[in-house]
Amino acid sequence: MSLLSKSQADGLSGKQPEETEGKWRHGMKSLLKSKTGTLGILIVLVVCIIAIGAPLFATHEPAKISPAQRLLPPMWLEGGAPDHLLGTDNLGRDIWSRIVYGSQVSLIVGIGAVLLSGAIGALLGLLAGFYGKWVNAIIMRVADAFIAIPAILFMLVVLAVLGPGLGTLIFVIGVTNWVSYARVVRGEVLSVKERDFVKAARALGARNGRIIFTHILPNVLSSFIIISTMSVATTIIMEASLSFLGLGIKPPAVSWGGMLSDGRQYLATSWWVATFPGLAITITVLGVIFFGDWLRDMLDPRMKSKE
Amino acid sequence: MGKYIVKSLLQMVPVLFLISAIVFVLVHVTGDPVNLMLPETATEEDRAVLSKALGLDRPLYIQFGLFLYNAVQGDFGHSFHYGQSALPLVLERLPASFQLAGAGMLIATLLAIPLGIISALKRNTYLDLFISGLSALGKGMPNFWTGIMLILLFSVILGIFPVSGKGGPEHLVLPAITLGAGIAAQMTRLIRASMLEILNQEYIRTARSKGLLETIVIFKHALRNGLIPVVTIMGLQFTSLIGGTLVTETVFSWPGLGQLLVSAVNTHDMSIVQAAVFVIAIIVLAVNLLTDIVYRYLDPRIKYS
Amino acid sequence: MKRWYVQGFAVIIAVMLVVTGCGNAAETTNETQTNGGTASAPAGGDKTTLTIANATDIESFDTHNNNNTMSEAVLVNVFDYLLKNDAEQNKVPVLATSWEQVNDTTWRLKLRDDVKFHNGDPFTAADVKFSLERVAKDSTLKQNTYYKHIKEVNIIDDYTVDIVTETPDPIMLNRLSRMGAGILPSKYIEENGIEAFLKAPVGTGPYKFSKWTKDDRIELVKNADYFGGTPKWENVVFRSIPEASTRVSELLTGGVDIAAGVPSTDIARIDGVDGLSVEQAKIQRVLHIIMRMTEGSITADPKVREAIELAIDNQVIIDSIAGGAGIPTRTSVTPGNFGSDPSLYDTFVYDQERARALLKEAGYENGAKVSFSSAVQYKEVAEVVAAMLTDVGFEVNLEILEASSFSEKLNSKKFNELFLLGVGNSLFDASNNYNRFKKENAAGETDYNNPEVEELLQSALQNMDLADREKQYQKVQQQFTVDRPTIYLYQMKGIYGIGAGIGYTPRLDEMYYAEDITLK
Repeated sequence: MSLLSKSQADGLSGKQPEETEGKWRHGMKSLLKSKTGTLGILIVLVVCIIAIGAPLFATHEPAKISPAQRLLPPMWLEGGAPDHLLGTDNLGRDIWSRIVYGSQVSLIVGIGAVLLSGAIGALLGLLAGFYGKWVNAIIMRVADAFIAIPAILFMLVVLAVLGPGLGTLIFVIGVTNWVSYARVVRGEVLSVKERDFVKAARALGARNGRIIFTHILPNVLSSFIIISTMSVATTIIMEASLSFLGLGIKPPAVSWGGMLSDGRQYLATSWWVATFPGLAITITVLGVIFFGDWLRDMLDPRMKSKE
Repeated sequence: MGKYIVKSLLQMVPVLFLISAIVFVLVHVTGDPVNLMLPETATEEDRAVLSKALGLDRPLYIQFGLFLYNAVQGDFGHSFHYGQSALPLVLERLPASFQLAGAGMLIATLLAIPLGIISALKRNTYLDLFISGLSALGKGMPNFWTGIMLILLFSVILGIFPVSGKGGPEHLVLPAITLGAGIAAQMTRLIRASMLEILNQEYIRTARSKGLLETIVIFKHALRNGLIPVVTIMGLQFTSLIGGTLVTETVFSWPGLGQLLVSAVNTHDMSIVQAAVFVIAIIVLAVNLLTDIVYRYLDPRIKYS
Repeated sequence: MKRWYVQGFAVIIAVMLVVTGCGNAAETTNETQTNGGTASAPAGGDKTTLTIANATDIESFDTHNNNNTMSEAVLVNVFDYLLKNDAEQNKVPVLATSWEQVNDTTWRLKLRDDVKFHNGDPFTAADVKFSLERVAKDSTLKQNTYYKHIKEVNIIDDYTVDIVTETPDPIMLNRLSRMGAGILPSKYIEENGIEAFLKAPVGTGPYKFSKWTKDDRIELVKNADYFGGTPKWENVVFRSIPEASTRVSELLTGGVDIAAGVPSTDIARIDGVDGLSVEQAKIQRVLHIIMRMTEGSITADPKVREAIELAIDNQVIIDSIAGGAGIPTRTSVTPGNFGSDPSLYDTFVYDQERARALLKEAGYENGAKVSFSSAVQYKEVAEVVAAMLTDVGFEVNLEILEASSFSEKLNSKKFNELFLLGVGNSLFDASNNYNRFKKENAAGETDYNNPEVEELLQSALQNMDLADREKQYQKVQQQFTVDRPTIYLYQMKGIYGIGAGIGYTPRLDEMYYAEDITLK
């Protein structure tokens, strides 16, 4: 294992208290104490609520095209229509409603990709850690290979093969982001394996599955959550860049990245088309970052003292 | 140290083999380049003839074997698109991409180190919040948005920098800022975290409790140790940097590897994709190794295993 | 404490709005800025470099092995044809001085005797034989399909050649004046090989190759020995700028003299700047919606196909998406092409009520499911068309594909009911418009099969009686408005931004003959 990943794994897994009792109560307290944590969780909650209740918040059909209404400015500007809060895009679609529905795609892709990469990472990390030897060697070389190909390039090629779509997008982002999870899990397995109580448990005939669930999973959980929050933000941006390169979500589905990418052509003449989805991404990313910081502080005991 | 480097270099061989295999399979299932090379009016017969001429009618494993055999000798085949050897085409793009990536990394580092440190020191203050907001903006706005905005502001309205293309150093400014901004955002967060970790460590608290001046504590102790992980962070960001050039180069029509790759993927120009991924992978692996070495050099606690 | 969040956000939002607001203000502020910019560049008589910005780089300097107009538009300045189209599609001499048809399968051309390639080699009949036989015989060349019926080129003397075809070819002159017919230096290529030639290409044209920085620029310099007189420009630079807004910004700041592919929303922005102008010109490209008539598919029913045509308001698409840059048409053989039928041009049919009624008659009152595919390039048009079809009762499954996947599906004939295709015609002849509808090629794609039309198309291919041939193609066009294996949206126009002091009239064939671009 290269040192790079070792230091990364150390920094992320830390030495967790093994008890989880009272953790959540403590969490709630620290959440209320942390200003940014509160803000972060509020933003994340609002985005989730909007995504789930999209039909309630949208004022228009998000895909409804009306060429006569194209490129109307936001309602408070001159020439804006009162029923189009944030104006309309190049095809006369309501930008507010599209942002509302776009939140669904961003969240689904973000969460879906993180779950997938977490699952792949956990599985490969466990295999590598437990079996060592050639299994470990193969998995770690594959990990190195994935690290050495820039994710966006890999996605470009895969999307060209599979064709763009929500499922493909989740698959591709998921498949390219598993390495950091795998390294953390593997590191944890290696350290746990050497501890006396695990050796004892093994000697007593405990099965691997039991060891995994009782000793390893609780320890990697916090690192997992921290990596995940970082990945959700990256994933949302990734979708935007793929849209720019022509491989994002395709209409009639709406995504923030796609809106931003389509709107770039109008930045000089109709700034609102790209700016509002951009703001939506920025605010969400900010929320996720704050939320992640708080989680990290809460789950990593070394960080707590300053709170 | 020498033994460690040799071992690392040896480990690169299977990694590069894996990468070639992955990309080879991906590129080949992408589709038949013959369809894209001939006019629409071409008949089945034309396609078969061209396919045979290009050796595409053979089984995939034979094609892969041939590819590996040639690749080892530095021959990645002919670019369908340019009608020239692929490797030189890729290599001639490297200087432009290195310039851009280097300048982008420089800007990112110059921005991120002070911002990250300030943000950590002034944790949970208005300033920290503002810097967090800035990094969210930097991370939240994709490269193409930043790039177009910078062009509108600095080229069209203010007329300070040229719009696009490669020329004198002034041509490098806007693309480098575009590329650097996103990386800087990410680096700021990581540096902030690593500084926080250091600031909480026993010896810093001891130093503080001894009544040492805050600035001395920060610069002499915290910063020196806090910057060690920054080396790792820079290494880790390098891959995103390469990824970022794909988009940035398109916006600024910068003639680097990124543009070549995007168009090669779009035209199914397999040999270029193969050669480019190979070259990028070697560079990334080399940078990672270099970071490891620097890290070990800076932090004497680590043994060369 | 709460105020902090508010302030933090206010600052971020303010920064964004200032930046975007400034972008918006560009319309007015840059008037003065740009004037300053162009004034500092050599204006008027001492401007010697012409810079043209395209969306894509050329494919290569192999004029026989390119298949896109943008490449040829650059290459016409380096290589010459034997004859070329003038701005009105008349054939005018270039390397050939005269031509005559000896018999149905033989054309005799007299060549200029005062032409030298850029490396000093004299141009002779051997170069014509080498070039035309190369493109005719090498099936790996992308232009081969247009020339493969050329049997041989016979050298009569140093400055006379006979071009012999396998079958009678009524449009040989059209072939000789388009991409793929550029004359290459036989001696240079035979001595140095084609790879060396492509690195340092040599032609007979008014401009010589100087430098190609791929994906950035091609630099050409004046060929002082050009047989047509000293060229106008010292240097001609072709920039490749994929991002449309970057291209427009370059034009606004005086970085380029001509910007192709200006988005319709930017027209007002360019027009608002003193000295800059926007030229719109028809190009040889018509947007088709091609329909699958395969038995069992919903579009096999002629009523459904008619309903589709009637559901689409071509003019609305042109006005909104194309910013007015298009002409509605019911044929792809637009004026300027051999065989065009003017009665089907600049017109369209639109009747939502009738479309709904037809769908009902066809038995689809509960929604007719069709899938509709388009390349990402025409995404906006496709979205509007899909919306219009939905309006009359279709259920549209819209599939937007990135360029290479689209080509892949196109060439392997994998589209379902409908797909959107922009079809060009560099041959200026109706035969080129109907290749895909000939029975052999239509099989598996549209599965269009009308024996009468097939008969007309086959006979027109070799019909040397031009008046009769024209009638044949007009009959085909009329029949297409009934059979509808495809319907047409509009003939596209190219939108060009033109810098201060530049005189340029864009051409129907999209070629940039630098010699026709002037300083005002």
